[in-house]
Formats: sequence, C-alpha cells, structure tokens
Amino acid sequence: MALVQIVEPDTPPVPGQPRLAVGIDLGTTNSLVATVRNGQAVPLPDNDGRHALASAVRYLKDSSISVGRDASQCASCDPFNCILSVKRLIGRGVEDVQQLGEQMPYKFSAGESHMPLIETVQGAKSPVEVSAEILKVLRSRGEQALGGDLFGAVITVPAYFDDAQRQATKDAAKLAGIKVLRLLNEPTAAAVAYGLDRQAEGVTVVYDLGGGTFDVSILRLSQGVFEVLATGGDSALGGDDFDHVLADWIIQQSGSSTDLSPSEQRKLLRVACDLKEALSQAATVSVSYAGWQGELTRCQFEALIEPLVSRSLRACRRAVRDAGIDIGEIDAVVMVGGSTRVPLVREQVARLFECQPLTDIDPDKVVSLGAAIQADILAGNQSGSSDLLLLDVNPLSLGLETMGELVEKIIPRNTTIPVSRTQDFTTARDGQTAMALHVVQGERELVSACRSLARFELRGIPPMVAGAAKIRVTFQVDADGLLSVTARETRSGVEAHVEVKPSYGLSDEEVSRMLEDSLEHAEDDRRARGLREQQVNAERLLETVQAALQADGDLLSEKERAEVDQQLEQLEQLSRTDDQGAIARQIQKVNQVTHEFASRRMDATVRRAFAGRQLEEI
Amino acid sequence: MSDPARVTGTYYELFNLPLTFELDLSELGRRYRDAVRRVHPDRFAAAGDQEQRAAVERAAALNEAYETLRSPGRRALYLLNLQAPLEEEATVQDPEFLFQQMEWREELEELGERADFAAIDAFKKRLASFRKEVDDEFAQTWQDPATRTDAERLVRRMQFLDKVLYEVGQLEERLDDF
Repeated sequence: MALVQIVEPDTPPVPGQPRLAVGIDLGTTNSLVATVRNGQAVPLPDNDGRHALASAVRYLKDSSISVGRDASQCASCDPFNCILSVKRLIGRGVEDVQQLGEQMPYKFSAGESHMPLIETVQGAKSPVEVSAEILKVLRSRGEQALGGDLFGAVITVPAYFDDAQRQATKDAAKLAGIKVLRLLNEPTAAAVAYGLDRQAEGVTVVYDLGGGTFDVSILRLSQGVFEVLATGGDSALGGDDFDHVLADWIIQQSGSSTDLSPSEQRKLLRVACDLKEALSQAATVSVSYAGWQGELTRCQFEALIEPLVSRSLRACRRAVRDAGIDIGEIDAVVMVGGSTRVPLVREQVARLFECQPLTDIDPDKVVSLGAAIQADILAGNQSGSSDLLLLDVNPLSLGLETMGELVEKIIPRNTTIPVSRTQDFTTARDGQTAMALHVVQGERELVSACRSLARFELRGIPPMVAGAAKIRVTFQVDADGLLSVTARETRSGVEAHVEVKPSYGLSDEEVSRMLEDSLEHAEDDRRARGLREQQVNAERLLETVQAALQADGDLLSEKERAEVDQQLEQLEQLSRTDDQGAIARQIQKVNQVTHEFASRRMDATVRRAFAGRQLEEI
Repeated sequence: MSDPARVTGTYYELFNLPLTFELDLSELGRRYRDAVRRVHPDRFAAAGDQEQRAAVERAAALNEAYETLRSPGRRALYLLNLQAPLEEEATVQDPEFLFQQMEWREELEELGERADFAAIDAFKKRLASFRKEVDDEFAQTWQDPATRTDAERLVRRMQFLDKVLYEVGQLEERLDDF
C-alpha cells in the first residue's frame, strides 16, 4: 500500500500555502508576468533574467512557434510570419484592420464573424490564437517560478477596450489554459500599484500611454475602495504613433522612396524608435538611414508629435469633466508606459493637471505589479476585510438601435460596474415569438457612428396579440466589463432564450474548435506539463516517505532501511532531470520498496489503538 | 445596517438613512463603500459560478441604489414613486416653466455658435442656482399628498434642468474637440 495524502478540492488556502496567482500585463509591444511574494509584488524574469517578453509571435515552417525577443528580431527578415502588436488587432473587425493597413504588413483574410485572420506559413491565424501563444509563455514562466499549477491570473486590458476586445482577450486566455480571475483595466492596475505604495486617500489621475493605446483614468481612494470616477482614452493612439511620425520625417528628409517592403518598413520604424528614445536624453541627435545622414533637435521632434500629445490631453479633459471634479481636486498624477518618458509628454501633463507626475515605479512594470496585487487578493491569499476593493466603470456607453438607425443609450459611459438596467419591449405583430436587438457601444447618436457589439436574438416569446407581450430585457455588465443579456416575458413569466451573435468575436464553437486544435499541437506543452507533474509527484513522495521514516523508522531493519534510502536518493536525483519516464519509473520503485514498510506502519497503528482501548476498558 | 446582500427594502433602508430628500452625500458615500466592499464579486472570485453570478446581481443592485440616491433628480423621482407610481407619459402643466425652457434652449444654441467658455460657465452657474431653488421647494412639498401635483411638476423641472446641463456638457466636449 502506498503512502497517500488526500486533499479536499476547493478548501481555502492554508496559511503558508497560498494559491498560485499572477498578474499579466499583455502589452502591445511587451508583456510581463508578476506575482506577490512575501507580501511584495515582483515581476518574474525569464531564464536570462529579463522581465519583459516581446509581444512577438513567429510561425516557422517547421511547425514550431517562437515567442519573444527572437521572434521580434526576425521581424525585418520574415515580416509576414512575425506578428507584432497583435493587441491592435484583437477584437477588431476586418474593416478596422484595413484602416491600420499601412502599419501592419501582414496578409489578411476574413474569417467568420468579420474577424481578420493573418495568413502565415502555418495557416490562417486569428489575433486570439496569436495572443494565446504569448499568454502560454507567460503562464509557463509563472508556473515554473511558483512551482505548480496556477490557480488563475488577472490580465490587464486598456480601460478603453470595448466588449469585443475584452471578450477576445478572455478567449485568448482560455486557449492558453489560464483561468481569468479578473480582466483589469490598465490604469486601475497602475493606480493600485501606486496606491498601495503611498497609502494616501485622494484623487489620482493615471495617464497611460502604451505602445498602441492611450488610457486616462481618474480614481478616488477612500475607505479602502479604489473607485474609478471616469475613464477615457483613445484606443488608436500610442507611442508607436510617435515612431510613425518620425519615420515619415526621415523619409521626407532623406528623400527615400515611400514604397517600402515590409522588412524595410520594420527597419525604418526601428531607427525612428531609437531616435525617439535618444531625444529623451539629448537635445540633438544625429540619425542615419539608407545612406542619408541628418540631425533632429528635441524642439523639432516636439513640433512633430505635438498634435498627438494634444489628442491625449483632450481625452484627459473629457475624463475630468465626466468625473465631475475640478482640476484642483487632483492629488497625484501617475505616468504609465514607456512613451511617457518623452519630456514633452511629462511637461504637458504636469501643466494640465497642475501636478508633477509620479514616475518612481518603473512605468513599464507598474501595470503588471498592480495586476499581481489584485490577483493575490482575488485568489484569497490576503485576509478579508483589509483588502483593497477596485470599483471600475464601463468606458463606453451601451445603446440599442432604434427606429431610424438611431441609438438609445441604456447604460451611459462611466457607470460603476457591475451594473444592470432593464428595458421593456413589446411585439409589433400578432403571434410574434422572436425579437432581435442590436447593441452598440459609443457616444454618438447614429448607429453607423457607433461600434456594433452584437445582435441578441430573443426566442420563445409566447405568441400573443401584437402589443400584448411585455418583454423585460435586462442588460448586465459584469466586473470584467462584459455584457450579458437576459429576457423574460413578464405576463407569462417565460424566460426568452437569448442567442448572441457577436459582431467581431468568436462564437463558442469557434473557441472550442481552437482549443481542440491547440491541444493537438500542444505536444511540447503536454510533455512539459507531464514532466512538471512527475517532478511534483516525486517531491511529494519524498516528503511523505521521509516523514514516515522519522516517525516509524525503527520498523525497518538496517538492511531494509539502506535499500529505501538508496531508492529515495535516486528519486531525488532523477527529479531534477528532464526524463519524465525515468522519474515515473523511480516513483514506482520507491512505492515497491516501501510497500512492506507501509503495512508494518499500519499494523503498528492498529496495535497502538488496540492497546489504548484495552487500557481504557480496564 | 440591513444586509446589503439582499436588496428587498427601499434604497433608503438599504443604507439605513432617513427618508428625506435632503441627504448627506458624504455619509451616503461612506455607507455605500462599506457595503460594496462586502458584496462585490471580487470577494467571490475564488468561489463557484453560482455565487459569482449572485454577487454580480447584488453588487449591480447596490450600485443602482447608490446612483439613484446620489443624484437629486433621480432621488426625487424615486421618492415620489415610493409614495405612488408616477405616470411616465402624463404631461404636467407648467406654463411658466415652459417659457423658461424656451429661453434656455435659445441661449444654449447661441452659446453653441460662439464657443465662449466664460459665457458657458456663467450659464451653468445660473442653471445651478435655479436648480437649488427647485430642490428646496421639492423638499418642502413631496411628502404632503395635498401638494403632490406641485411635487410632480418640480420633478419634471429637475429632469429638464438635468437634460440642459447634460447638453451643455456635450457642447463643451464638442468645442474642445476643435
């Protein structure tokens, strides 16, 4: 009989045995994974000690997939198969992608439900699948560092991400085998990281200029509740745009051709990016490209990017209005994202908010650190009532299409979530049993100017005379910012069946199909999992046997004990190797060799109990 | 305080506040934050699906209660509805206010053409002070069934003022976008 430990599922974590949870910043250019260790949020490095994972995925001819720095470095030589900045594509439709066209050299095709697919040497890949590859690497990094399966992760998204982009991010996590504890808005995550640092109550503005998206959030910390007052931004404005402006300038100055191949484009953007970064340190920088040499001053640079920075400030002013506060009430400004190192950005932000921005936490890491803290809380590792609670809002108004292709707002933007609103409808025709609702997101009055979210088909309405049915539709936005719709005919009490047809997303079948595909191709993944499992089994067995030997080692003869010790040592050594098969075999061996010991222990226990009873009876 | 997890009573009972139109907003905020810390779905992130779904509903209900009581216009409407259901469709006679409404609409249009932020600010201040008068009058009239019609009229005025203020906000946004 083997020595076995039984643990009940879903028991609360034992102190000293926290649930393994991580925070993931899935960025446009770089991604990070962090966790809370000994009460401190720390980023997790790769085997080379680097924290950032380039958000680059390369599909190779030999069916392997490369993620990270190696992939991003091949972007110039293999532009069609190296997918960069996939975050700009996730949850978007084919039309959106066509607008981004020049910036993204990939070959696109249209998938089901208007989702763009990228043609690679391994076939057509959706942005969801590409993002999943990045998440898989981060998950594996987390599991290795923490020594076990992850309970779950908090994944951050731009605050301005719409429902489709959020759902797609969740789908990517599902494909990567990650349980999403919460989708957290990036500015909120940054505020958490600073908030805990400073422990100060008051109003904070988070100015988050990432590679591809701009978010601004205004939060108030009070009584341990971090409440988002308003959020805004521009999901098509980012630091990458600074690079593009510089690239255009270089082309113009150097008189080079504007007709560039994708790899030439990548090279040029690299030069532009380096130039931008250099100008944060020096007032004048020289640059060379395609045989041309020139010079750019910081002044000229600022003139070039000024319209972009202005755009960000406009979104800031709108957020301040939405928050219903005066500029004077702002206590702190936090800068997030590498591009906030550009001096002009810092100056203008300081001027608008009449406050010197805080930058002491690495602006590239702060989001993942905040996410890690939230993950720790949600996994139940921190004690109850002293937890920070994050109250976020929906960034975009939700509306319904009505007669004349107009929008009627049901849930205005910046409403605290979760939120639930109901609306009553009735039938237009006798015997009508179904109804379609078109939900859009946006602030405009025309449906065409808003973003189509999904069509909800309500079926199973009991047939009645036209106008007699009263259908109460409930729109609920959960804490992740995702919408769900339920409907009930109030006179009969019948629940209508709601079918969701997302405008830019994956249907449940598509996600399941992708999951199956990825499992088939996940030989490496599975093998790695299998190895890890065996190593954990070996460790556990070693512990239990050693504890048993401590307690009842005297039940073994010297020779028997020597044999057991030898097999244990073998197991210990093998558990440090990659040989899954050998470890499994050695586990068997140890079980064999301790079988007799286990029965003797059981006998001894029975005897002890029996002896005890006898004594009592006397 | 009654169990915030079950929103069965009135919004006032939920926060254990006296049933008056005047409300200490910072006290309301304190009680809200206290309650939401306990019912928010984040507290149930490690629990089963059923519990999480229930938590979302409870938190949404709590948020709705807070939003309603926080806004004077919605609070007023809520109070009247508690006494007797307000007929949404009924038109209430309010000739003097009608005239004021037309004046404000015209003024708003002019402001839209001039892009004068100082003038917009002054307009907002005037609306705010008119609003204060309406609020005070409502506080006096809403509880007495004899003055119910007056109370209803005042609520309509509040709604109109809210609408105008919203449109001023839209205007400011439009002007800022240039």
